[in-house]
Parts: sequence; structure tokens; C-alpha cells
Amino acid sequence: MDIDDILREVDPTFHSIPQEQRDLQDLTRAYVAERCAPELLHYPPGNLIDRVHENIKRQIEMVEEMTGNMNPKTNFALIVIQNELERYRFILRSYLRERIRKIHKHTLHYLSTDELRSRLSEIEVRYATARQSRLHEHYMSSFLAEFPPQLQNLNDTAGNLNMIDSPDLDSAVFVRLLRDTLVESRGVDDDGLIEGKEGQIFILRWADAKPLVERSSAELI
Amino acid sequence: MAHPLPPGLTPAEVAFLAEMEMVTIVPRQRIESIDLLGGKTPTLRPPHRAQVPLWLALLLKKQNRANIVPPPWLHPASLQSIIQREKVEDPVAFSPPPPPPSRIKIGGTAERINDASDGVSPPFLPSCTADAPSGFLPYHWQEVAEALLAHAGDDMPASAGEVRGLLRDLAEIRAAKLRSSSSAFEGFGDAGVSLTGVGAMELADNRAFLLGVIDGVRTLGAGAEATRREQEEEERAERGDEFNDSDEEMGI
Repeated sequence: MDIDDILREVDPTFHSIPQEQRDLQDLTRAYVAERCAPELLHYPPGNLIDRVHENIKRQIEMVEEMTGNMNPKTNFALIVIQNELERYRFILRSYLRERIRKIHKHTLHYLSTDELRSRLSEIEVRYATARQSRLHEHYMSSFLAEFPPQLQNLNDTAGNLNMIDSPDLDSAVFVRLLRDTLVESRGVDDDGLIEGKEGQIFILRWADAKPLVERSSAELI
Repeated sequence: MAHPLPPGLTPAEVAFLAEMEMVTIVPRQRIESIDLLGGKTPTLRPPHRAQVPLWLALLLKKQNRANIVPPPWLHPASLQSIIQREKVEDPVAFSPPPPPPSRIKIGGTAERINDASDGVSPPFLPSCTADAPSGFLPYHWQEVAEALLAHAGDDMPASAGEVRGLLRDLAEIRAAKLRSSSSAFEGFGDAGVSLTGVGAMELADNRAFLLGVIDGVRTLGAGAEATRREQEEEERAERGDEFNDSDEEMGI
């Protein structure tokens, strides 16, 4: 322990949040947001998920090393480390599985434009494409082939009717403001515009909440 | 492989998140710092207090390695004053959440804690530590209180029964508020609906109901809303600002 560590412990104004803690906070927020948002969100910036994967791998290696030299002192530390590791993995797993659920539900929608496609990670794009083509093959072989060719498409947009199912962007969500900001909201009888304060919680339509969330002015809860 | 739970956080997930709240402990034995994925734990040196996440505090408590210092808002006097506020001072809205840390003044000096805390939100705010302000319910109040009462009852400031009773009163008063707030959804207009001060578990328990009502009202009123928007658009056009093309998305 050097002087900086001591200063850090006694003076709350000295420290800034270390990277590991930031990552945990960002991962948790990404997980909560993904669970609550009606549509697939952007992959978190700055390689967060890769870094998390890397950290988990390193931690598992450490656990394996530590289980080798059993002494009562490190025993307790090992329990704590494994406990935390499982918690951490739970968040990551829930996050990724929620994304898979959304991709399953609206595969064609997320593959339809470049903007939507850019929200998926490389692996997710590969997964979605492979899944869709298998599904199409399966439909083809079981019934689609019997239809007239002009009715065989799964992504027909003729007659102003889009066959591609997409998430309802107007469904309601809960948001908490992370800083003071103007909140616009549309309603059935009236539209509103109010000056929101940090920490306030609102129910908004996702379409209205989305710009706030993307600017990090608010988070989904 | 896809997520098995319905969208939106479930009560079990909220309870999991609440275990990341920081609490204050008094260690009973020396434990070296442990290198965790979420950062190092502090070195525990009795009798110095330390801040650790709730899940770790419960583990230490269970093994008799530490005592937990209950957060000030959990004291009966604090709970009484919150009940008073919820019942008498403002029978409609929830009592306000703890002030954001960037606005808390430490030791009377008007300094901000640090700018790095910007954008940090529960469960990472120090709202359940011994330094948390009393008289404010933090976001995860129900889960943290329940966990502390169940696993650290002997560290509580009063008998577990008394604190439980107060918590139950509080939960009932607030549940009634949440239910009656659904009448405000009829218009779902005036800048959304504010639920400031609501707790995480209260939201999780009522998520399906609240969001269901709102989405239902929206679907029922979709026609009326489209007509209103058309009218407003016409009025705007009549006022002659046709140059000012509306970039507002038309709700259908």
C-alpha cells in the first residue's frame, strides 16, 4: 500500500471509479436496459462485452490455480471469488440470452436494414442469418414449395402491408433520469414537455424515451 | 437458449440486483483484500468499518466474520417519519428518493463528491451504507430491508418485529398509491406519468399491470390520437408555417 492508496481510502473526493467497477456498472445497465426495452439495443460501445469475456476467462483460470493449493486462509477468498464469478456470469448470460430472444422474435426485421443490422454483434449476425435461412429451407420443403411462386416470399411488402413483424416501438417503459433534461412525451389526449430532474422516474413510450437513453440522459429500469 | 423469463425485470432479478447495494460492515477478523471482477474488496481490519456489496456482507455475516451496520433510513424513527410523510404530507406522490450523490454535501462543505460519480445509479449508489441520509427510502429499500432483517436480525437497531411492522405499513400505503396512480394513465398525456420515488420491487411487482394498462389505453385511443395529431397539423399549416416542415413522427 502506498500513499495514494491511503489517500484514496480516507478522501472520497480523491478517487475516481476504477475500470473494473465501471465495467460492472456498464454491464449491469446494459443488462437491465436490454431486459426492459421492447426492441434490440445497440451493442455496448468500447468492446465492453469482449473485455468482460476476457476478465471472466482470467478469473476462472485463477480459481483453477487457487483450488490447487488448499490452505484455510485462501479457502474463504476462493468462496468469495467463485460467488462473485457466478454473479458476474449470470448478468452476462442474461444479457446475451435476452438479445437472442429478441433476435428470434424478429429475425427478418433486424436483418432487413443496415442500421438495424449494425446493432447486432458479428456472431449475432451470423447466428441470425443461419437461423433464418434454415427456417426458410424448412418452410420451403414442408409447404412453401406448393404455393405459387409469387406467394413464396417471407418478406413481402406488396399492398402496403409489411409481412415482416417488427417490435412495437410505442410500448411503455419506465425510465430514470440520470441528469436534468427536457422530457418530451406523446399521449393520447395531449402531448407533454417538462423539465425533468436527475433521479425522477417516468413512464414514457419507448419512442420518446429512446433519444434520452441513447444520450445517456436516462436509463431504463 | 433464448431468455426464459418474460421481458422486463422480474422480482427475482430485482432481488439479485439489490444484492449489489453497498452496505457498511464491522469486520470481526482480518481479511486481506480479494481481487474480484468488479474491483478489489477493501482490506478488512477490525474494528474499522468498511463498505462491501450486500451479497458479500451477508456471506461474512453468515460465517460470523462481520456485523452489518444497518443504514440510517432503516431505524424505526426514520421509518416513522417516512410513514408520516407518505400519509399526511403528501397522500398522492411517493416520498422523494435520496438526493443524488452529486448534490450531497459532505461534512458541511459544499463540495461535490466527484464528477466521476456522474451517471451512477442504483444499485451502485451508496444509499444503504451507514453514511446514507435518514428519512429517504432508496430505490432497493424493500429488498435490502428484507435481506438484512432475515439474515442480520441481531444487528438491527430495534427488534426485527417492530421494524418489519413499520415496513409493512409503509409497503401498504405505497401499494395503495401505486394502484390509484393507474387512474392518471387514462390520458397518458401530460408528459408521461411520473412515479418518482417508487421502489424497484414495487415496480417489478406491478410492471405487467401498469404497462398493460398504458398500452391498452394507447391502443384504444389510437384513433382519437391520430385525429388529434391531424388536426394539430392542419392548424399548424393554417398558421402558415408550411416552410417549417414538421419532423415530428406522426403517431398512427
